Amino acid sequence: MSKSSPRRFAGKSTGTVTVIEARVHRSSARRAKLAFILTAVIVGVLAAVVAASYWHPIVALIVGALIGVPCGAAAWLLVRIWPVLQRLWWWATEIVLAVLLLTAWVQLANHTSTVVMLLVVALVVGVPAAIPPVRRQVKAWAWCLIVRHRLRVCFAQFIIANQSGSLPLILWARPTPVGERVWVYLRPGLSAKDLEGRLDKIAVTCHASTVLIERASETNAAYLRFDIKRREVLDARVNSPLVDQIDPTAPVSASPLTVPTALDLPDVDVPTITLPAQGKPAAKKPTNSANGSTPAADTSSAPDDDVSDWI
Amino acid sequence: MTSATPAPASGVPVGPGLSMFDPLFIGIDEFGQPVYLDVIYRNILAAGEPGGGKSGLLNNIAGTAALCDNTRLVLFDAKLVELGPWRDIADEFVGLDIDHGLNVLRRLLVVASNRYAWLLAHRRRKLAPTDGLSVIVTIIDELAMFSTVLGTKAQQEEFSTLLRGLVSLGRACGMPVVAATQRPSWDIIPASLRDLFGYRAAFRCTSLNSSNIILGQGWAEQGYTASDISPTNQGAAYLLAEGGVPRRIKAAYLTDADIYNIADYAAWIRRPAGARLDLGLAA
Repeated sequence: MSKSSPRRFAGKSTGTVTVIEARVHRSSARRAKLAFILTAVIVGVLAAVVAASYWHPIVALIVGALIGVPCGAAAWLLVRIWPVLQRLWWWATEIVLAVLLLTAWVQLANHTSTVVMLLVVALVVGVPAAIPPVRRQVKAWAWCLIVRHRLRVCFAQFIIANQSGSLPLILWARPTPVGERVWVYLRPGLSAKDLEGRLDKIAVTCHASTVLIERASETNAAYLRFDIKRREVLDARVNSPLVDQIDPTAPVSASPLTVPTALDLPDVDVPTITLPAQGKPAAKKPTNSANGSTPAADTSSAPDDDVSDWI
Repeated sequence: MTSATPAPASGVPVGPGLSMFDPLFIGIDEFGQPVYLDVIYRNILAAGEPGGGKSGLLNNIAGTAALCDNTRLVLFDAKLVELGPWRDIADEFVGLDIDHGLNVLRRLLVVASNRYAWLLAHRRRKLAPTDGLSVIVTIIDELAMFSTVLGTKAQQEEFSTLLRGLVSLGRACGMPVVAATQRPSWDIIPASLRDLFGYRAAFRCTSLNSSNIILGQGWAEQGYTASDISPTNQGAAYLLAEGGVPRRIKAAYLTDADIYNIADYAAWIRRPAGARLDLGLAA
């Protein structure tokens, strides 16, 4: 902001305040004030208009003001505590889980003896820990919780979205065989293209190997799908389901092949280095003996589909 | 040749349970989800360095086609061993004889044009499963052998031209083409032929440029390059399906024993009716 700006000229500037928090704080205060005025005026006017059909207009104005001011105050409060509400929402799953666990713990402690309590805890913790598939599931879902916070860190720390600093909506997450898949709804100021250049940084922040972004909706560019990869599945061998379709005891039914015997370089003379003429089973059979004069290409192929071959 | 009733030839499919009109399983993607391909209305080009796993993909497709109902196989394999196991159930198996290959392609083109005339007569534009016409799957391994090595220059060019005709015609009349080559650059196969293949599978390449030749210009710059596939990870590839972005897949692997078992079983269920009768009497 230059020195000749109107704000500076009006003497409202506090001088050398450059701390971001102060700016954010100020913008929050300004927004709260604006919300108060707007809500109070709109609700007040509406209430006054409605009241005017029952009472005298002056009484109606007073009633409008009485209704408008508390509503404006509520709006002001909402805007001021919005960051707190946001954080409560971000941690809602963890808060609910913690409350449930603590309640269960307290109930257990109140209603059972220590031995029973320890036994229950040992079962609840030990059984999932001892059964690998359950353990993997629990770990995968725990990562889903973690990764949503890590993505939020990415957006807040190094993906600057817009002037008001609104973060994308991080929707649900679910585990995949290679990691997690998170759905995100972008706010104005970001696009999938912006994010594609920062995938490596996102991967680092999410403690992952790689991150991929795909559009989750054909019609809405803001709706994205983040695939966070921690494990590699393409190294594994993939078996074909065809093997299960067949009966391995089916009779072998290959048509007879004429097998060439000239399998080494000295067995083949210079003039015969031509690619063999090919019948159904491509084969070349030298007719001469091993000291190898001219072997002739044998083009006689096996008889086609002789029924006796099948039996 | 526009006969209204397609006569089923004797000796072809008897009791297989699969259909080429169903999506065909070829492997998993990088999220561990199965990948299916609609081979019937698509042409597939698989490319990559030797030992990358092209033949694995081809054998998957050949194996599925072999077990499919009312499906014919036409195989071109200059290396003989990759598609050789299916030679007995294939209607045509072309090895090193390019003349034979040219004849087969000419026949296929005649069939394709006849099928279109048949479709026209039935006021249709595309083959449907209920038509009763067989699906003719053409699989070519080492395409470069036919377009650059075997035969004379004129024969090679004719091969490319006929194949281009088949690839462009075959799609809607149930005659898909699956081809594999190491590097589909313009000196190996004409760009006009390469670009007709809707699905591309890029197995490991040594350079960004090679990967771009397979998948199409510009993908390597966006990070989709088959040169970052580990040389030891055979069967891993980038698959570009029509209209989408390339995705990493791993093709299902069939051991030699599996391939021969499937081929034997396919030959067994496709055996001619006469042979079945004889066997039934003998048993």
